[in-house]
Amino acid sequence: MTLLQSLKNFVRSKSIHVAYVDVGSCNGCDVEVLACLAPRYDIEQYGIFVHNNPREADVLLVIGAYTPGWEGKLEGLWEKIPDPKVAVAIGNCPISGCLFNRPHTLVDPPVSKHIPIAAQVPGCPPRPTEILSAILSVAPLVYRDYEVRK
Amino acid sequence: MKRTVDVSIPVGPVHPCWKEPTRVKCETRGEFVLSAEVELGYMKKGIERIMQGRPWQEVMFLAERVCGICSVIHNMVFIEALEKMSSIEVPERAALLRVIVNELDRMQSHILANFSYCYTIEHETLGMYLLDSREKVLDELERITGARITCAYMVPGGVRFDLRSEDALHLRASMDMLEKEITRYTGMFEHGPLIALRSRGIGILTRDAAREACAVGPTARASGLPESDRRLHHPTYRKLGFTPISREEGDNFARIMMRFQEMLQSISLIRKCLDILPVGPIRGGGIPGAGEIAYSGEAPRGELSYFIRTDAAGRVIDIAIQTPSIMNIEACCHYMLTGVASMADVPSTFVSSDPCIACTER
Repeated sequence: MTLLQSLKNFVRSKSIHVAYVDVGSCNGCDVEVLACLAPRYDIEQYGIFVHNNPREADVLLVIGAYTPGWEGKLEGLWEKIPDPKVAVAIGNCPISGCLFNRPHTLVDPPVSKHIPIAAQVPGCPPRPTEILSAILSVAPLVYRDYEVRK
Repeated sequence: MKRTVDVSIPVGPVHPCWKEPTRVKCETRGEFVLSAEVELGYMKKGIERIMQGRPWQEVMFLAERVCGICSVIHNMVFIEALEKMSSIEVPERAALLRVIVNELDRMQSHILANFSYCYTIEHETLGMYLLDSREKVLDELERITGARITCAYMVPGGVRFDLRSEDALHLRASMDMLEKEITRYTGMFEHGPLIALRSRGIGILTRDAAREACAVGPTARASGLPESDRRLHHPTYRKLGFTPISREEGDNFARIMMRFQEMLQSISLIRKCLDILPVGPIRGGGIPGAGEIAYSGEAPRGELSYFIRTDAAGRVIDIAIQTPSIMNIEACCHYMLTGVASMADVPSTFVSSDPCIACTER
């Protein structure tokens, strides 16, 4: 790897844009993602900017257990995110459906059936610190050697 | 009647200002909003269908996950409905502890709603101050119940954990600190000239319109309907001498100020509870049996009703939940948003009514 490439990798891993999308959860994980913005956890000190615009995002946080209302739309949203990109599943819902995955339910988990998921943060809901460390652990992978891989 | 509509602008479902997906379609002429329509259906999970035929011990946790922001009140209304149905007595200490936890939950929900509004009108400083205070409230909630969001603190006949004396001291100290902070932020919001430009006189919901649209909660109370508060009918709140607050303006500013005032009211309610908290048991006996009941409580967003029918083994045969947000979303789309002068005010007006899509669609 050239020096220029490693410099690029380092610099780019320090500027990550995050979008989150709720595909049918109880809202608990949404508020924990919002709590990451609080001065106590301060997600922006790590160079992560949450602004919820899929067209500029690098990391997509997927929350919830894939309801029928998102049929085809989540895939469309995933298409709109420019490469390179990763998706992180927040909470039990996108992983297993948690306690919504019972007889007579309308949800269709896991979300990994519909879009590729790079990391999973289990918990109902996970703590903000866990969400933060998950984003930080995938952040260097998003851009690493992107030109080479392409 | 034929109308001249320039363009129909959709806002959402994924929008920078919104926590949850929903779509508002605005018919506009220039910047002026002629009418608005909400499109729901992104979060329908069918919780009521899952609940049917399950024992109450399971439905209790499902009820809590109808809404993650106001999970405590869903737990409380469900459990109190079961208690009333099967005439289970609650010890006084447990009843007061329930009020403490419920008011803490109301505070964190109101702070989050006000944060969303400040974030939407791009007053990020105040928003971050508020989020910092919210963490302090969540700390207290975690210290008492053991969890930040979904606590499952209440069980039929009482509560799970007792409040230790050192925790009570800590809670009092936190309340003093929070009172100071929230009074300061209320002053910042009240006297901010730029905030007033974005909030005063925008999205007006008059008293008659609020009554017509069946608005509930802080949205209704900001339009001068204090009697909409269900806490007036709750025995423990009555004993505490609870009187609801109301404002007359009915605009975005009034709705946010209403929540600030209710936070201060919650602090004084918690203090009152701590003052009269007796020593005693926190759990009585009793198991829910067969019966049928409709029961309501006051969620942070307004009146929350449960209709439950159970069989002799305590299984839920039939359940219907009515959540407050749907009424406020109706009021918002049909009354507040029509006549909003600028598209930029549409997200802030929608957020000011504090819509919770997860519990609206369930």
